[in-house]
Amino acid sequence: MKKLLFPAFLIASLFFLPYILVGDLSVEAAKPEAVSCKTCHADLASVLPKGHPPVAENSLASCMPCHPSDFEGRAEKNLFATRMHMAHLPPRGSLDCTACHEWMPGKSFGLIGREGSWGAPDAKDMDFLRTIFKSWAGSGYMDHLHAAAGIGCTQCHGKGLPRADDTVENDRCLVCHGPMDRLAQKTEPKEFKDRNPHKSHLGDIACTVCHKGHAESKVYCLECHKFDMKIMGAVEAKK
Amino acid sequence: MKPEKESMEGNGVSRRSVLKGAVAMGAVAVGGGLALNMSAPDRAEAAVKKLPSNWDETWDVVVIGSGFAGLAAAAEAAGGGAKVIILEKMPTYGGNSIINGGEYNSWDDQLHLREKLQLGEDSVELHKNDTLKGGDFYSFPELVEVFVNGATPALNWMIEEGGCKLRNILNRTGGHSAYRTHTNVEGVGRGYTEPLKKIAESRGAKIRLNTKLTWIWRRDADSQSPIEGVEVVTGRKTVNIRIGKALIMASGGFGRDKKMLREYNPGILDEYNCTNHPGATGETIRMAQAIGADSLQLAFIQLYPYAAPDTGILDVPAIYPFRGPGYGIVYVNKLGKRFVNEMERRDVVSMAQIKTKMKPTYSLFCEAMIPKMGTKEEVEKGIAKGRFVKADTMTELAQKLGIPADSLGETIRNHNRYMAEGKDPEFGRQFTKVMIPLTEGPFYAVAQWPAVHHTMGGLRINKDAQVIDIWGKVIPCFYAAGEVTGGVHGANRLGGNAIPDAIAFGRMAGTNAAKEKRRT
Repeated sequence: MKKLLFPAFLIASLFFLPYILVGDLSVEAAKPEAVSCKTCHADLASVLPKGHPPVAENSLASCMPCHPSDFEGRAEKNLFATRMHMAHLPPRGSLDCTACHEWMPGKSFGLIGREGSWGAPDAKDMDFLRTIFKSWAGSGYMDHLHAAAGIGCTQCHGKGLPRADDTVENDRCLVCHGPMDRLAQKTEPKEFKDRNPHKSHLGDIACTVCHKGHAESKVYCLECHKFDMKIMGAVEAKK
Repeated sequence: MKPEKESMEGNGVSRRSVLKGAVAMGAVAVGGGLALNMSAPDRAEAAVKKLPSNWDETWDVVVIGSGFAGLAAAAEAAGGGAKVIILEKMPTYGGNSIINGGEYNSWDDQLHLREKLQLGEDSVELHKNDTLKGGDFYSFPELVEVFVNGATPALNWMIEEGGCKLRNILNRTGGHSAYRTHTNVEGVGRGYTEPLKKIAESRGAKIRLNTKLTWIWRRDADSQSPIEGVEVVTGRKTVNIRIGKALIMASGGFGRDKKMLREYNPGILDEYNCTNHPGATGETIRMAQAIGADSLQLAFIQLYPYAAPDTGILDVPAIYPFRGPGYGIVYVNKLGKRFVNEMERRDVVSMAQIKTKMKPTYSLFCEAMIPKMGTKEEVEKGIAKGRFVKADTMTELAQKLGIPADSLGETIRNHNRYMAEGKDPEFGRQFTKVMIPLTEGPFYAVAQWPAVHHTMGGLRINKDAQVIDIWGKVIPCFYAAGEVTGGVHGANRLGGNAIPDAIAFGRMAGTNAAKEKRRT
């Protein structure tokens, strides 16, 4: 009997090895079967807006035939995606990304019950994404100002999950806020026309020099000049 | 790369790896002993900073800084066939180069302005002698020669290849004995940085912003040891870049580094403002020193005499007092009296103001001088912003400035007489026949006060822009150009010399860097 114990132990541990390597047993347990809106919302119709057509509630992707997902990364409002996310995650909700998203660390990130992956974040990436998401969902910074208007991650960062060293270039911002000339016209001061933050003597500068997505926005001109200039997204919200 | 802990046992650094030379500056490679560690200054014990085992990127030439020197160096290196990247720590390009007054000394130019405007003679030799004298002979003649010889070709290069446009004016400025100071149409340094950037990028050089140098990789202080690469930080990422040909340090001065200013010159008081951009700090000089580079004359720090008194900004109005001496501009204090020879060099003018103990002082000019120094539009804008004060008579001007009208009137009458007679018994001002007396209004005044502006000292280079180590030997694959270097201007830089210095030495460094044999 004793002779069998060790090999039995070995086989058993080999069986559990994949779960140990992946690191989070609970995720694996929740993974494959039938996660849908009904898992939590027994009466789905009650959380849908009035007059909403009936929904086949058999998967998380049930909404997609009518509502485009963020997957395409288009530079346009997506109120469905932004409101959906803000409703379920902190500060308003209490779920984690992995409640609906299937995550294989370093391998894939998709929607449970649906084919496709939007990136391959590792544990460090996911923690960073959670931190940034928290800012987007409720800070006083520009990310939350955009969230309230229906703009989420991929609308600025493009297709797929944002990576840690991502930058957002001017042409993206200008899809909605441009063209540059029109922007410059909007911010031309009445008194001294050359003190225009969008026509800087420093040349063609990145929007993100002043307008930070996930941090305090600051007027770069004020590093040297004592102008009276304000910028949105300048403070942390008192939440 | 974080330095390893003090003990070398069991921390991934074996005796073998030390002997193999895999350990970079911070420990003696041969013999296995521990040596002085420059990478952790507050630790007395030796620590180890290991050479990266993997490099994230490789470039032939890495240039630190995107100002005049960096852009010129990148342009020439790329033109010489090298794969070049400029690394800029700030979120915008150009550093101090893009915001200064754009004053450029050159004995001639392809438009032959001096001849056209009939402003007398000049030569490379005269420019060199003015420069050596202006720095009290602390500068090295062979270095001065590089930039006075390179000034005219570089200016023409920016005009021809970069689209630079010059104004139709030429000034004689403090410490110079000829009319040689050019201004571009924009009236600021951007009028040269944009052409240089255009040339550099069209030749294939790349610029990467928000990327800060954090370490220079060199195996040890042996004179044969070349620069291997650099460690840089961008956002949350640390990147190690392998350098195939050479590193060019073009990181500018340290005017905003209050700590370093006072370490070398305790006389630079905290109360002085500064004309520089916020990134003008000296950490790259320290990094170069840490790998054996020599530095010199770091005590020589220049105050720009005519900065805006409350902010220290060198705005457009603040350039007029600099351009004006050759056309008769007059400097007075709050008592309405002159206090210095207006033709004097910057350090003399700054010290004379500080000695008055009355902030601010004023530059006075008249309508006729405006086209010689700038434009009517600039003056109008300056009046609207409260920087220029305009009046029809000297008495009215005195009233507006709050200085005694009698005293000012007398000062101006005397000065006009001195100009007519060609002799200034009070301060020995030299007069020329193109100078304009202050007899006919309207009259203008601009307030001024000294602010920290330029650090003459820095890394030691030879005439080929190679960095020299503390033993007097060239550090292989290491060049430097521009304000980060020392020994080009001596004790005091003449106004208008910084730009030709940076561009001429930048071109020298880039040309020579491209010629280096490419390593893997």
